[in-house]
Amino acid sequence: MRRGAVLAVALAALALAGAVWQPHDPDAVDMLARHAAPSLSHPLGTDHLGRDLASRMLVAAWRTGLVVVIVGAIGLAGGSALGTIAAILGGWRERLILRGAELFIVVPTLVWALTAAALFGLSPLTAGVALGLAGVGPYALFSNALTHRVLGQPFVLAATALGAARLRLMLRHVLPNTLPLIFAYVGSQAGQSVIAYASLAFIGLGADPSKPDWGSMLYEYRMFVFDRPMLTIWPGLAIAAVTWTLNRIFDPPTAAASGGAGLNRGRRRPS
Amino acid sequence: MGRHVLAIGLRAAASLLAVSALAFLVIAFMPSDPVMIAIRAWNLPADPETIAGLRAQWGLDGPLPARYLRWLAGFVTGDWGRTFRTGEPVLAEFAARLPLSLSIGLGGLAFACVAAVPIGFAAALRPEGAADRASRLLAVTVQAVPAFWLGLVLVWVLGVKLRVIQPFSGGPTIVLLAAGLVALHSAGMFARVYRRDLIEQTGQPHFRTALAKGLDRRRALWRHGHRGAIYAMLSAVRSEAGWAIGTTAALEVLFGLPGISQFLVQSISARDFFVLQAYVMVVAVWMLAVNGAIELAVRRLDPRWRESQS
Repeated sequence: MRRGAVLAVALAALALAGAVWQPHDPDAVDMLARHAAPSLSHPLGTDHLGRDLASRMLVAAWRTGLVVVIVGAIGLAGGSALGTIAAILGGWRERLILRGAELFIVVPTLVWALTAAALFGLSPLTAGVALGLAGVGPYALFSNALTHRVLGQPFVLAATALGAARLRLMLRHVLPNTLPLIFAYVGSQAGQSVIAYASLAFIGLGADPSKPDWGSMLYEYRMFVFDRPMLTIWPGLAIAAVTWTLNRIFDPPTAAASGGAGLNRGRRRPS
Repeated sequence: MGRHVLAIGLRAAASLLAVSALAFLVIAFMPSDPVMIAIRAWNLPADPETIAGLRAQWGLDGPLPARYLRWLAGFVTGDWGRTFRTGEPVLAEFAARLPLSLSIGLGGLAFACVAAVPIGFAAALRPEGAADRASRLLAVTVQAVPAFWLGLVLVWVLGVKLRVIQPFSGGPTIVLLAAGLVALHSAGMFARVYRRDLIEQTGQPHFRTALAKGLDRRRALWRHGHRGAIYAMLSAVRSEAGWAIGTTAALEVLFGLPGISQFLVQSISARDFFVLQAYVMVVAVWMLAVNGAIELAVRRLDPRWRESQS
């Protein structure tokens, strides 16, 4: 946990640094310095166009960070709002919302995001919004189930008996109890959004080729895997490090020991 | 049994209908006009007659609901439109490419199920033993490392260092490699689910009874835990199926395999909206088929279901 936290801070600092500063212009082509070996001025060397690899990695880190934050924010806000509102409305409106949430599970998140990227282009914003919206379904179902559990608790019944209004009930008593768990669930999926964004950029639908992303770098450099394997090793290591760190923070080893996605499982109730 | 098949089929059809409407709506908001793109792609004169003719031919005139109903009628009767790029019917293009994608995705999932049982069983036999640690390492690794990067590394190791495969040749070895990469991720996840369910059952009274009868841990786990753990694993296949589709898509692009996702990528540069819509539908059918098959299998195998039904 300690190591995970240190690594997380370091990675976040790198991503934030990448937003404002890079050692070189990440798009500056220098044909005289193609495939340069790592040196002081190019810590990770240069690519087939002489662009500084470290600078491109930094920009890509920032873009990936943006995606994770957007996906998480949409998942947390959308999932908890939908699930809680559905539970409080009850009746056919609740069934409708839950059925709608289930619908998003039928088509995988990545395919919705592919569709969005194909139509609107791929940027951290569109990818984040698409991955976030497409992923809201499971969070809504989860927060709905949690809300029902909390609504059955004695202190909520007491508050209802005292005549608390619905909105107040929700804000004061329900959400403070459900949000931490929903946050943990959304967080446990954060690593997946890094891989999903890398896959999207790798597949490259609607991507802007001038903007570096770890996924698009892997696609661009895949042809050099024979002669310059390090070009593909670095972005891959970056993806793995960020994903591993996120998984580790939100899914501590005790839970990982019993199988990883702890909240994800659960047999369907007989319907 | 027939009643369940009917119920699952009806539910799947309803989901499919809703997904198709949603996808149609999203695609209708496309910023660029497919007719203008097609005119440019085919070098047609950009006069109003041609534009109106193409619009009528593709059913793009008229309000959105009418267009949707027309598209739906065409989809059900097997008319999925024609691609801009090749002019071939979309259905034929998909039919030609689907077997490859299915064998990578479903083949990988099936292989993972087979591989996960011995791994998970060995892990559950001795918790914190070598097999348990190895399977945990596998699960943690495959969750952090994208399959397409692992594929790239394998291309380097197998194709460059050892020279045992010809990368980017599209041969059967490459298809097998892709299916293996899908299987690796799923096997890591399934093995953990299977192991956890086995371990959970060791705390149950029936398991302690089996031990008291004189069975050793290995036999008791196999005779009394295995079946239940298989059901838990089958439920995990459901959530893994979506992941397998995404992995298959990235691997098709990596290895240049002519599957449906590669076809989508090639078509999108032409803003080929028929292909995009068809792709979403094919994926939804794939997911619903996997879900339905698993639900039926569990109902059929699991005595708890049979009791509650009859």
